[in-house]
Amino acid sequence: MKVLVTVKRVIDYNVKVRVKADNSGVDLNNVKMAMNPFCEIAVEEAIRLKEAGVATEVVAVSLGPKACQEQLRTALALGADRAIHVETEQELESLNVAKLLAKIVEIEQPGMVILGKQSIDTDNNQTGQMLAALTGMPQGTFASKIVINDDKALVTREVDGGLQTIELNMPIIATTDLRLNEPRYASLPNIMKAKRKPLAVKTVEELGVTLKEHSKIVSVNAPAERQAGIKVADVAELVDKLKNEAKVI
Amino acid sequence: MSNYQHPYKEANFVIRHLLHFDQFCEAYSWDEINSDLTAVVLAEAEKFAVNYLLELNRQGDLQAAYLQGDKVFETPGFARAYQQFIAQGWPSLSATEAYGGQGLPNLLSVACNEIWQSTNLAFSLCPLLGQGAITAIAEHGSEALKQQFLAKLISGEWTGTMNLTEAGAGSDLAAINTRAEYIDGEYKISGQKIFITWGDHQMTDNIIHLVLARLPDAPVGVKGISLFVVPKFLLDAQGNPAAENDLRCLSLEHKMGIHGSPTCVMSYGDKDGAIGYLVGEKHHGLGYMFSMMNHARQGVGVQGLGISERAYQAALEYAGGRVQGRDKAGNSMRIIEFADVRRMLMMMKSGTEAMRALCYYAGFKADQKAAATEQQKSAIQAQISFLTPIVKGWCTELTQELVSLAMQVYGGAGYIEEAGVAQHVRDARILTIYEGTTGIQALDLTHRKTLFDKALQARQIFKEIQQTIDDLAVLDQRCYLSRALTDALNDAQEAVTWLLENPDQGGSVAANYLQLWGYLMGGWLMAKSHLAAWQQLQLDAGDSDYLNAKLVTCKFYTQHFLVRTQACLASIRAGSDAIMALSEQQFFSHVN
Amino acid sequence: MSILVIAEHDNDTLKSATLNTVTAALQIGGDVAVLVAGSGCQSVAEQAAKISGISKVLVADNPAYEKFLAENMMPLIVELSAGKTHLLAPATTSGKNIMPGVAALLDVAQISEIISVESADTFQRPIYAGNAIATVQSLDAIKVLTVRTTGFDETAVAGSAEIEAVATVCDSGKSRFVTEEVVASERPELTSAKVIISGGRGMGNGENFSLLEAVADKLGAAVGASRAAVDAGFVSNDMQVGQTGKIVAPELYIAVGISGAIQHLAGMKDSKVIVAINKDEDAPIFSIADYGLVADLFEVVPQLAEQL
Repeated sequence: MKVLVTVKRVIDYNVKVRVKADNSGVDLNNVKMAMNPFCEIAVEEAIRLKEAGVATEVVAVSLGPKACQEQLRTALALGADRAIHVETEQELESLNVAKLLAKIVEIEQPGMVILGKQSIDTDNNQTGQMLAALTGMPQGTFASKIVINDDKALVTREVDGGLQTIELNMPIIATTDLRLNEPRYASLPNIMKAKRKPLAVKTVEELGVTLKEHSKIVSVNAPAERQAGIKVADVAELVDKLKNEAKVI
Repeated sequence: MSNYQHPYKEANFVIRHLLHFDQFCEAYSWDEINSDLTAVVLAEAEKFAVNYLLELNRQGDLQAAYLQGDKVFETPGFARAYQQFIAQGWPSLSATEAYGGQGLPNLLSVACNEIWQSTNLAFSLCPLLGQGAITAIAEHGSEALKQQFLAKLISGEWTGTMNLTEAGAGSDLAAINTRAEYIDGEYKISGQKIFITWGDHQMTDNIIHLVLARLPDAPVGVKGISLFVVPKFLLDAQGNPAAENDLRCLSLEHKMGIHGSPTCVMSYGDKDGAIGYLVGEKHHGLGYMFSMMNHARQGVGVQGLGISERAYQAALEYAGGRVQGRDKAGNSMRIIEFADVRRMLMMMKSGTEAMRALCYYAGFKADQKAAATEQQKSAIQAQISFLTPIVKGWCTELTQELVSLAMQVYGGAGYIEEAGVAQHVRDARILTIYEGTTGIQALDLTHRKTLFDKALQARQIFKEIQQTIDDLAVLDQRCYLSRALTDALNDAQEAVTWLLENPDQGGSVAANYLQLWGYLMGGWLMAKSHLAAWQQLQLDAGDSDYLNAKLVTCKFYTQHFLVRTQACLASIRAGSDAIMALSEQQFFSHVN
Repeated sequence: MSILVIAEHDNDTLKSATLNTVTAALQIGGDVAVLVAGSGCQSVAEQAAKISGISKVLVADNPAYEKFLAENMMPLIVELSAGKTHLLAPATTSGKNIMPGVAALLDVAQISEIISVESADTFQRPIYAGNAIATVQSLDAIKVLTVRTTGFDETAVAGSAEIEAVATVCDSGKSRFVTEEVVASERPELTSAKVIISGGRGMGNGENFSLLEAVADKLGAAVGASRAAVDAGFVSNDMQVGQTGKIVAPELYIAVGISGAIQHLAGMKDSKVIVAINKDEDAPIFSIADYGLVADLFEVVPQLAEQL
């Protein structure tokens, strides 16, 4: 079985996000970028499937500017066999990403696609589900366990209040939650080997996908700062504030 | 516990724009090695260090390794981190490809070591000593020794130690007493070694000790010492650890810092002698050790860099969050807003950047030497030898000042162990002592490195610095930089002249002479950094925030550190005068 | 405008998240209908019919919808979207599972986790883990949204909308529910708790921590402690919050009898809402607390447990 795994280049989770002065977005100039942590889990899962003999080939895919190849190299160093980079300078909305991925799925015909459940930049949590809808493959989202049995997959999902296990007909789309696995680190020998693994570059035009604009960012603002604290007179006032002002209880 | 982030922009800037690593790789057509690769490797190193080493640093401090019976048990958690460390292949980084190493440049090894040492100095010493053992066997060992030990040391499956010091042989290794005897076709080692870092632990199933010992037929003094490989477990026919060798850890030192690193008293040959294997030729052991010394000593300079960076990041984080006092308008202020706190932070920032430039610059020389033609090699070796005492002595002394400043920024909170900065101060304190004290480094620089060649190498460097001063002419605001560097260069030239005229006073002036060179080399590399950053800005390339900060940091360095060459020179000129004037008795005149 | 809200329920009880979502729908304005898709979910439909401000409850009651499998829910919602301008679901794991695919099938975007409605096509949503707030305008004819429930109040439940059955049955056959495990509701872990109540040296002794536990039981909170309380031997050190203990950032942090040593603040200053209860009104903890109560904790903490 071939496993396709997606990899997104995002701001490193350690970096303190700064909103641009003109409120057009977040300042990404010269900030440290890294593989989206949920994608790391996706890559790890794919590699484990290969190590377990379930998967025969792991193909990593990323969409975006040339710099995404850094993250693809990381995926290759972690153990992916080859990589596909859809190079575009355009900002891609989730639906457009899903359409491009659907095209790659059509070409590659994987038995399974694993995506991170969300990226830590836009926090959308939707590409995997959209890809499932577009390809007609069933989805196991927010997965904390994936077991493949021939033509069926058992996916345990992290849902509000507990865990849900569903059975899906292969091929499937899975999106990863934090507890699915603990991603490994790339070893030095594998970093070196990754430089020799194939990385194919494709364009949006080649894939024949028309990108549409579905939404636009009007502005991006910093969240309101913590307001100067107030003193409350008694417990009744405190409970009232927590319920009705802060809305945390 | 403070956080740590790898200063990757700094590391990349030094590698790319100060050292021009890519041009070097291209010139020697190093396949697949370039600054993109180093950036990827460093990013992975940071990930490992932050996730595995950072938290254990405190753990190691609180829960030192302990001795039970004759076994040393390392801090809980270290073994797991070590397993991950070797699973990622870190010990193999710069080791030879013939035995499973990656053959990556020393420069990258230095940059990675900085990360290990920022996050957990005590842990990092274990693989660092392994690197020493690898080099010793790879460069001087027989083919049989290499076959038996090298691959597993390189993979990290086994660790290595260096056994030099004895109770009566510290800075003076000629006094070594440990004996080796050739009996029935085997060398039997017996004697006691002290200060053996990571001399025992339970993280691996074998430990390979490199031991200096004296054979019965050895001439007295430094020329009579041989080097032996003495494994904790002897190998069976398949090369696997089998029978216990006759050696054990007698006790552990209770140290001021680096508690996570077990410092062992090792006893060899309590029964009928520990079996050892001769490395290279008889009586040449000390020479082999010295051939690794440049590397080891520079390594300690890098340790200073690592701790300084960590302490700086901690102080910066604290200064940005700690609220104290109010401004004129009555608004509360964070201490980072106060000028004196700023001064301390700038001292740390600029001092650390200068150290990094020097450590990487010196570490890169090893790669240049490896790639050079035979004729060039000796010239580069001379540079390395000259730089080594400066990297070791100056960086580690400056480290004391910088970690102390970090504590100062914390104020009273810093003196409380819980804040964490106290550990950096304690850990750092050993650095000016081990691998040759600052005094030894200073003597090395004055005598072996300056007087011995009549300052030939020193003058070579003066020429390079003069070239940079000339290059600074392209800058609009060249005045302060080139003036400051010119002044410091003059100080150094006068110091060299003075030393050549007063060689018998070398011991008295050595410490100041070493410091003068340190501040000068730091200033020179900061000036070169300034130029490189300025050029990047002219090209509108790179991160302008970072580059502009670099310009200011270089300026601060010249204003606050480079100027210290004047004081060093003044003290040098005083010579032995007051230093040696008192009789020993007079030292007690205030009490007797 | 015509809006469809997908109800969150367990075939038995309507979940309050639905009420927050309806509020968002009403802020957009226009006709609001609620879809209850499930199995044996008539009682949920009746509860939904009482939501104030909605015009209609659609009920798709079929075993295919029992576990809200995305493969079955998506085509149902797509079919019901005809004539709608907005489709809303709460940003629960169920809503997040279903709505992106619905949007994709309709060839429109999905806007996730909105926290405010600016206009019928413009919404605010947190990005970068809440470190920035984006205002997003939809350019699509149908807006598919998930709603972060904390951004909207619950709507009142005093209406009586008509209930209409939906006959459509979508069963893809590609997915099947197997099992579920509901997490037992013991006291949560410090690092993952939404609410934490911590005690300091002011607690006096370990027994007095039972006062905090009474509050914690009411709030489903974890109980923590300052280093001073741990050092004094009141409680074990696995409860320590602070620089050298656990670093926490819950929705609500209640510091009781804690003065606010720097080491403690470092471990909890990122909490969303901080409450400090201390009798020393100069205690540094008040400088970072959203709500401070200067009082004797032995008096007010039992009151707090009572009034929650």
